[in-house]
Amino acid sequence: MSQLINNIDALTLISNIVLMLATIVLYQSFAYIQNKSQLIWLNPMLLSIVAIIPLLLFFEFPFEEYYHSTQFLSNLLEPAVVALGFPLYQHLNSIKHQWKALGSILALGVILVIVISFTLTIVFITIPKIAVSLSLKSITTPIGIALSQQLNGDDSITAFAIILAGVFGALLGPSWLNLIKVKSAKAQGLAIGAASHALGTATISKISYEHGAYGSLALIICALITSLVSPLLISILSIWLL
Amino acid sequence: MKNGLYSGFVIAGCLLLGKVIAANFGGLPASLYGMILFTSALHFQLANPEKISTTISWIIQHMGVCFVPAGVGIINHYQLIKDHGFTLVAIIFISTFILLSFVGLSYQHLVLNKNSDSD
Repeated sequence: MSQLINNIDALTLISNIVLMLATIVLYQSFAYIQNKSQLIWLNPMLLSIVAIIPLLLFFEFPFEEYYHSTQFLSNLLEPAVVALGFPLYQHLNSIKHQWKALGSILALGVILVIVISFTLTIVFITIPKIAVSLSLKSITTPIGIALSQQLNGDDSITAFAIILAGVFGALLGPSWLNLIKVKSAKAQGLAIGAASHALGTATISKISYEHGAYGSLALIICALITSLVSPLLISILSIWLL
Repeated sequence: MKNGLYSGFVIAGCLLLGKVIAANFGGLPASLYGMILFTSALHFQLANPEKISTTISWIIQHMGVCFVPAGVGIINHYQLIKDHGFTLVAIIFISTFILLSFVGLSYQHLVLNKNSDSD
């Protein structure tokens, strides 16, 4: 009997490792393709998700089992957030002189986007869980998912919305900002970091060093502000709108 | 490799301490406390930034793969996408552009134009 249980355990362990490796290999291949082609919309995260879904459906493999098998990858989200403290440390000196202005603009922006996303979702889709998820879409994925769990949003919708917000800002952000005459590198970096987090920042870092620096500054400050204000703001909005 | 271990050790230490703080005081997610501790450790020179920087850029470059399983979860929302897919995408699109414009315009007009000499 115990022999049998051991065999089953070993089998689960092997299938876990296989599924995890398959996910990593798939992601790395897409990352390689994007690196070669330099096309923003070939985002490896987005493409891996789009590729894995039909595979699971085709083999009738339950998502819960896939998620459970790749749990280790999801567990790495926490140390990934901690690692983001490094770019913040690098920018501490440049914020010192303007932290009041920067903080207030970003805080207002964060409040604005949470109110707009939450309200629009409640009005048009009427599902509070989804409204929470969409309110958290402007911040970097690991923090967005952590907050979404804390505030009873839906992880997968949050992740999906975050990727889309990132792709929109990365693809169209610079030309849109030029159009509305926001042309300085600092302002563009800050705006794209605030609205399109790491995905936008990684993309515009190629334009100039200042774009990248202000982008990562904005993405981290916005994540911090969002985690401070979103619990209270979302409960107030829920009381008003529901 | 040595630097990688060192970075891993510092990050794990900050995360652990963050978990202790979150468990006792609540408020922010544990990982955010960990991030603030990590920044402070670097700023007050409790950790050596030079030993950490290579590992960090590796982590930031590759961390996307950790979000894939959570993202695949959208599979459970077939009905939602079918019913509200367009609205969902439209809301994300509109609010992203409002935020982009708000932050870009305010920073350019309130901060940069004001101290254009000090820039």
